[in-house]
Amino acid sequence: MTFDYDLFVIGAGSGGLAAAKAAASFGASVGIAEHEALGGTCVNRGCIPKKLIVYAADFALQNQMAHQYGWSQCDNYFDWTRFTKLVDKHLDNLNDSFSKQLQKAGVDLIKGYATFIDDHTLEVDNRKITADKILIAVGGRPNLPDIPGIEFAITSREMFHLPYLPKRFVVIGGGYIGIEFASMMNAFGCKVTVINNDELILSGFDDDVRAHIQQSLTKRGIRFFHNSTAKEIKLCEDGLLVKIKADKQATVAADTILVATGRTPNIEKLGLEKVGIELAEKGTIKVNEYNNTNIENIYAVGDCSSSLQLTPVAKAEGEAFAKTVFGKTPKTVNYNEVPTAVFSRPEGASYGMTEQQARSEFGDDVESFKTEFKSLLSQFGGSDEKTLIKIIVKTENQQVLGAHMVGEHAADIIQSLGVAIRKGITKQDLVESIGIHPTTAEELMTL
Amino acid sequence: MAYDYDLFVIGAGSGGLAASKRAASYGAKVAIAENDLVGGTCVIRGCVPKKLMVYASHFPAIFKEAQGYGWKVGDTSLDWEHFITSIDKEVRRLSQLHISFLEKAGVELISGKGKILDPHTVEVGDKKYTADKILIAVGGRPVKPDMPGFAEYGITSNEIFHLKEKPKHIAIIGAGYIGTEFACIMRGLGCEVTQITRGQKILKGFDEDVRDNIEAGMKNHGINLIRNNIVKQVEKNGNGLKLTLSDENLAPLNADVFLIAAGRAPNVENLGLENAGVNLIQGSIEGPGYSTMNAIAVNEYSQTSQENIYAVGDVTDRINLTPVAIGEGRAFADSEFGNNRRVFSHEDVATAVFSTPEAATVGLTEEQAKGKYGDNVKIFKTSFRPMYYTLPGADERTMMKLIVDSNTDKVLGAHMVGDDAAEIIQGIAIAVKMGATKKDFDATVGIHPSAAEEFVTMR
Repeated sequence: MTFDYDLFVIGAGSGGLAAAKAAASFGASVGIAEHEALGGTCVNRGCIPKKLIVYAADFALQNQMAHQYGWSQCDNYFDWTRFTKLVDKHLDNLNDSFSKQLQKAGVDLIKGYATFIDDHTLEVDNRKITADKILIAVGGRPNLPDIPGIEFAITSREMFHLPYLPKRFVVIGGGYIGIEFASMMNAFGCKVTVINNDELILSGFDDDVRAHIQQSLTKRGIRFFHNSTAKEIKLCEDGLLVKIKADKQATVAADTILVATGRTPNIEKLGLEKVGIELAEKGTIKVNEYNNTNIENIYAVGDCSSSLQLTPVAKAEGEAFAKTVFGKTPKTVNYNEVPTAVFSRPEGASYGMTEQQARSEFGDDVESFKTEFKSLLSQFGGSDEKTLIKIIVKTENQQVLGAHMVGEHAADIIQSLGVAIRKGITKQDLVESIGIHPTTAEELMTL
Repeated sequence: MAYDYDLFVIGAGSGGLAASKRAASYGAKVAIAENDLVGGTCVIRGCVPKKLMVYASHFPAIFKEAQGYGWKVGDTSLDWEHFITSIDKEVRRLSQLHISFLEKAGVELISGKGKILDPHTVEVGDKKYTADKILIAVGGRPVKPDMPGFAEYGITSNEIFHLKEKPKHIAIIGAGYIGTEFACIMRGLGCEVTQITRGQKILKGFDEDVRDNIEAGMKNHGINLIRNNIVKQVEKNGNGLKLTLSDENLAPLNADVFLIAAGRAPNVENLGLENAGVNLIQGSIEGPGYSTMNAIAVNEYSQTSQENIYAVGDVTDRINLTPVAIGEGRAFADSEFGNNRRVFSHEDVATAVFSTPEAATVGLTEEQAKGKYGDNVKIFKTSFRPMYYTLPGADERTMMKLIVDSNTDKVLGAHMVGDDAAEIIQGIAIAVKMGATKKDFDATVGIHPSAAEEFVTMR
């Protein structure tokens, strides 16, 4: 039997685009369906626009710093509406460039929402398309907790199109998305409150990183409710009211409430039941190490199937899938050493194991080394915020298992160090390395 | 025979401080002599105050870029006195900090210039001290070529941190990293800048792509580069200076500050080296108006021709960098006092140029690699506009380059020009020194969106 395509990809986000281009490069005929803008969450309502807001918010902080270096204070004003327009224009350009990339790679782009008819047939925009292999890369979307008044809250998706900056901003959720928005809005001068269901924010990061960022954000003026959940949202004359359930009850007023309590895979309308695709416990699509679902010719990558919802992971999965299926080189993704960053101010980043993970795996055979210092850039500042660097070492062979950092350039520094950790360096190797002076990264050698 | 000290260190800069503290940590009785502020070139008139100036110099560009992000920014100007005073205060604070580190380590600080009288005796002021071992760590100094007007009207990097006012037009000679960094700093602060180089290109010794990319960035920022020229003469001209160039077709330059960044010389004079049979070797600076420079000759253990006298840092003119001086100092102390005889490796030393754009590098350049491995060298290179600059539409680029041995897949060199290059190369340098392969780079998962992720996604 002949099919319209060797591969049809549902969803043109990070994972789908990477897989489609890679598969085409191996000579496969490839189609991809997308009903929204190309690039998926990362490009349109995630990493990219978020980082642009981070940059915009940084100017508020840099302006204070400039003054400490002797630059005179000047009037300045941030025009949020203008900014969001500039971002939209930039994203339009990115969209065009993705579309050109697909063209160049010889991938057919079909606008519309794809649903399954059978193992080899999809329907897109009233059209039937057949394919030998099908890849599901539909991503996810923010969860909405089931509480009264949730319709008054927004998700990260709407954050990029707020008509104006709120005066009072409440975030429900202490994960990296909630914390990043809390940090930016704080820099813009909003009064920010975070409702977190745990003792510390940023679950999953090393406890020292979590505590350090939480302390810094508190010092920067963000109010936290810990071990707390939002119970109800009410509209009132003056805006919104969030009822918080903690040890004691509290009510916080807000102009904007952001819900950032995790994400759900976008799988409901795909018609997975028609082909009998199994789901994992968490509601994601169940796949094996080659991203194969329980149906032989159907695969899934990215946020709809992965437990690590990160762009580079989705890309790596997409490329590994294409290599395995079309490149004749079976390839799996190594999930053990996936670095990650939180672009709050201060910034946090991690590579490898947290101390908690290392101790649960190796027990007492684990040491950790930590340094805290004031960076050279902030020497003139009034703030006493410190940079934190921490490494986790296996005592027996002195191998570095993980590295964690909070401070300027954390993501870039940890990324580069990741290559060395991947190479299997020991603590001794690190200490005996030669620094580049003066940098923040050279402090690694003082551990 | 009993000596006053197990170790006497002459010079409390990066190398001397590191060696003295490390030796004391092994129980040695240590003294250190310094005739200036404690901290040496790096802390007092080098790396640290320079980097603070670099930070300050970036703000005008940041204000401009902010407008691309929807900010309306009013006019701002630099309070030069506040700026210079803040730097001076920070330098003095750090110097005090180093004194407290010495105290904590139990090292005795002696104020004054140390001079060797015999292999075991050092004189400081009118006092004599005896020591089993002596370490010379007196560093170096910028030199002025012997050309008309240079001595009177030229300043060096020593004086640049204490300028009374912001230069209007600064002329800089020297194509090395010091001249290049100050050209960028002064341009960032809003001065007119002319950099004059003897050769065709700045930053000899760096990878050609690094040299070209920095130069392109500098020109883009409005720095005037005059190549293949020397300044023949400097004269006073009203309130300013008149610089005559070797190319007679070029009109003389008018500038109000003339910075000479044309090399540094080891401080070997007046140390009494001849009293102890410490030999010198010829140093590396050459050019018009220079006399021969000498450095202290040492073996791989930093030992001089006199067996109980050692030397580390810039006075030995090996690789003149703070972390190298520290590394040499510590290796010396470990070997002589810590029962751990070891050689400090001068291979694969990472280094940065804090120009704008910034550059950092480790390992072999493409040229060196091809010289050594011929055709078995693979180059991976990427050049892109970082996301930060897209909204402002600024013409700023980042270049990254990996040099790979195609036989072994080993990464021989890594080079970068662009924002945060030094911070990014630091981690890469550890991997390169450990013998990382291109496969190791590729197998590292990226952090998105960061600049450094480009190093692990080069195909």
